[in-house]
Amino acid sequence: MMKPPHNVETLVVLQPIGVDTDSDDRQGLLVMANGLLVGVLVRLDTPGHEQLRGWFLEAGFGRLAGLRAPTFDTPEAAARWLRQRLKR
Amino acid sequence: MTEPSQRPVPTDAADVPLPDSHALIAKLERSVGLTDEDRGTLMGVMSQRRRVSSQVDLIREGDRPESVFLVTRGFACRYKILVDGQRHILGLLVPGDTCDLHVAILNRMDHSIAALTACEIVEIPRSTIVDLTSNHPRIAQALCWATLVEQGILREWLTNLGQRGADQRMAHLFCELLLRLQVVGLAGETGCFLPLTQVHLADILGFSIVHANRTLQHLRFLGLVDLKHRHLKVPNLARLRNFCSFNPEYLHLSRRV
Repeated sequence: MMKPPHNVETLVVLQPIGVDTDSDDRQGLLVMANGLLVGVLVRLDTPGHEQLRGWFLEAGFGRLAGLRAPTFDTPEAAARWLRQRLKR
Repeated sequence: MTEPSQRPVPTDAADVPLPDSHALIAKLERSVGLTDEDRGTLMGVMSQRRRVSSQVDLIREGDRPESVFLVTRGFACRYKILVDGQRHILGLLVPGDTCDLHVAILNRMDHSIAALTACEIVEIPRSTIVDLTSNHPRIAQALCWATLVEQGILREWLTNLGQRGADQRMAHLFCELLLRLQVVGLAGETGCFLPLTQVHLADILGFSIVHANRTLQHLRFLGLVDLKHRHLKVPNLARLRNFCSFNPEYLHLSRRV
């Protein structure tokens, strides 16, 4: 895949989408980086999540594949964290 | 690590059911017929118990192992910590379980062992293990059996992690734990005390905590298991076993004839 030059900031765009997680967690966001899908965030709404709330990286692609991410209070916080990861 | 003590296990383990004080004996008798003398010998080994608080390491990766741990009450686990801080739980020790009979042969531990709940343990010195294995042939054979069973469990956990989907993976763990606890008198037909949190389940099964909760909820929705207030309920064991194709052969609970 062609990578953008280092001096160009990765443009991360969040796009709402419903996600079937077989649970009450279904409000999601596609995470697009420079026009490519790199992840899916889902808001944690299932009762009984221990110690967790906010936004969860449900799936990651490319450099975010298999990544163990924390949960985030806001989608913006998630986007900032993911942008850092994409830079590495 | 705490001081040797005859006092009861602290209050955070107050609801941990007391096992038959012969959990080890009950387990070992699955493999070989022990004589009264053998049982007496084992009871002697277990006389020096001490309590350990929950979340306390019994031994850490890199430590030099000097003795064998036997859990007589509570739950302990083997684990590794990755460089990013992620923990993976490699095995559970329930009452009657020992760790690595011949661990004192090794120079350094390649993993850590911790008390998951408040525990009561016996630390068996290397010299006692040598005596048991040299002078008590039936006990030696039974301890060897226990080691083989633990390897069988590890192979099953590897299969579980590598090949089973989330629902079956978690269901299989519950089938195994229920049976292991039944062997030592700590579980009934349809349930047992099980102090595992979503974090523990995630670290055992290779899930995120989010998926551990979702999978638990799904198994509950299917009417297969319910884990609430540290109690596991299995309304229909045959159905649960069928759901995850549980075959208990790897626990080697019937004696060779």
